[in-house]
Amino acid sequence: MNTLEAIRPKIKQLEDMPTIPTIVQPLAAMLQLPVEQVDIEKVVELVSYDSTIAAQCLRMSNSPLFGRRKTETVRSAILALGLKRVEAILLGCCLNRIVPSGKWAFDAVTFWRHSLGCALVSRKMATMIGYPDPEKAYLAGLVHDLGILVNTITCTEQYRKCIQTAREERVALHRVEEKVLGFTHCQTGRILGEQWKFSPDVLAVVEAHHDPEAAAEASALVSLVHLSDLLCRLRDLGYGYYEVMGIDLAGDGAWSALVKNFPALGNMDLARLTMDIDGAMDEIAATVEAVFQPQST
Amino acid sequence: MADLTMSAAKMVTKLEAEDLRDPAYLKIRDAIYQISGIYQPEEKLYLLASRCARRMMAVNAKTPSDYLEYLTVRGNRDVELRALLNEITIGETYMFRSPAQIEAMRSVILPQLVQAKSAIGFKRLRLWSAGCSTGEEPYTLAMFLLEESAKLLAGWTFDILATDLNDNSLATAKAGIYGEYALRSTTAVLRKKYFKSYDEKRLQVTDQLKSIVRFDRVNLSDDSKMTFLKGLDVIFCCNVLIYFDLSSKRRVTQHFYSNLLPGGHLFLGHAESLFQVDDRFRLVHFPGAIGYLKPPITGGKS
Repeated sequence: MNTLEAIRPKIKQLEDMPTIPTIVQPLAAMLQLPVEQVDIEKVVELVSYDSTIAAQCLRMSNSPLFGRRKTETVRSAILALGLKRVEAILLGCCLNRIVPSGKWAFDAVTFWRHSLGCALVSRKMATMIGYPDPEKAYLAGLVHDLGILVNTITCTEQYRKCIQTAREERVALHRVEEKVLGFTHCQTGRILGEQWKFSPDVLAVVEAHHDPEAAAEASALVSLVHLSDLLCRLRDLGYGYYEVMGIDLAGDGAWSALVKNFPALGNMDLARLTMDIDGAMDEIAATVEAVFQPQST
Repeated sequence: MADLTMSAAKMVTKLEAEDLRDPAYLKIRDAIYQISGIYQPEEKLYLLASRCARRMMAVNAKTPSDYLEYLTVRGNRDVELRALLNEITIGETYMFRSPAQIEAMRSVILPQLVQAKSAIGFKRLRLWSAGCSTGEEPYTLAMFLLEESAKLLAGWTFDILATDLNDNSLATAKAGIYGEYALRSTTAVLRKKYFKSYDEKRLQVTDQLKSIVRFDRVNLSDDSKMTFLKGLDVIFCCNVLIYFDLSSKRRVTQHFYSNLLPGGHLFLGHAESLFQVDDRFRLVHFPGAIGYLKPPITGGKS
């Protein structure tokens, strides 16, 4: 049976996968700079080098979910999307490319629907409660399940069994992972995230989104993504099955923790947020088809 | 010439798209939400626009902003709002219209109720369809309960109270004769089990199905009658509260709260919300549905 230590070297290898596009390093570095120091033309140039990322920027900026405006050049797409979303697309592409075809333990589209759904809900909720960095919430939502990709690559066969068991028994994936693999996607996600130099708050989300009370830092961000994750899993944006059947979100520990720092959460119209998610479902599906569909190569 | 035709066509599509982007639609959406609690997410705004279009034609409003005035400023705005709400909820009633609510009943609420009530030896279940219109909802619930009576509800007694204000609707409901539209989501198995043929095009509910539904005329604003209704486990009140103003809405939901047993649930129509109407109910998420829970008494939680 695998243990976390045994697969550590495998995770290490993921970092050096040849499929990670060469523009990532300079582009990521550029996007880390304070906004006023970012050279937009340089970003446009870098994105234009990579046809896949450029195409995905264009598709996403033309999706009604994002820009609602027609963009025909990489430059206008980047302007319409904003740098933070370009960063998210970049990350989405990288994540997508690290999974070799045939290594998916389950349907890639399902994975991206959940990730993108959680990203959108996290950002929306962040805006509604006055969390200061909604785009950070988007990013954290997008990558919170990074460890699922790690597990799918490093122990594909066993992981297929995990997912099948989780679906049949209708339990949360991390519970089955604990039993079958001896570790969870929260742990493996953290290891890869560290290697990829994720910021500490995003690392905290990756590690603690199933147990927000254990988060050593960024507890607000972790709680936010935890709640969005739960909500998605009840809105047909989960992993193809419902393991949570009925939940009082406002009774969740993460809610009480979050409302202390963001009192607006107490007055948030949760029914309306839920209806917005339901309304956005088709858009999410369409965007995933357009943007995150796995490469056939 | 070809170019001219093309650009004309382009202009038309552009106009339509521009029209939908008219911020007045968002204002109409928000006004409806505020007054009625019916919410249309932005992606479904085209649906709202098409319902508005019919009313705009009827009142001869030229633009969405004109129409917004009919809804918010003009003297007979209440009448217009009602007319629009009728457009929005039109054709919404048929059996098994809200499968997610039934699924929530089957997989979460019923097992919870059975467990809690078995513990105290009280094997009785009461549901209420408040604003039952022509009977599709209570009969759906009746079929659901009868199907469960062989499983989870073995040895239980249950009944469904179905009320409406409208005598004509109640008469139709009691007769229980339905055509294809009302039965479009009812499976062949259930049709065979709970319906008999009435004429060439219509089916009638069986006496067995009728026997567990009790119809009554109730005005939800009638405080004296409302206070008498007690001991309910689940209340369904779909697209009814939307016609009430805020203070009446509050009064009705307060009644619902006391009508329900602790641990009981209230379901509204799929686009309705109780936001800022009653904060004693806890919003509960089920797969694809939202319910409102009257918290159980047990446990130390406040």
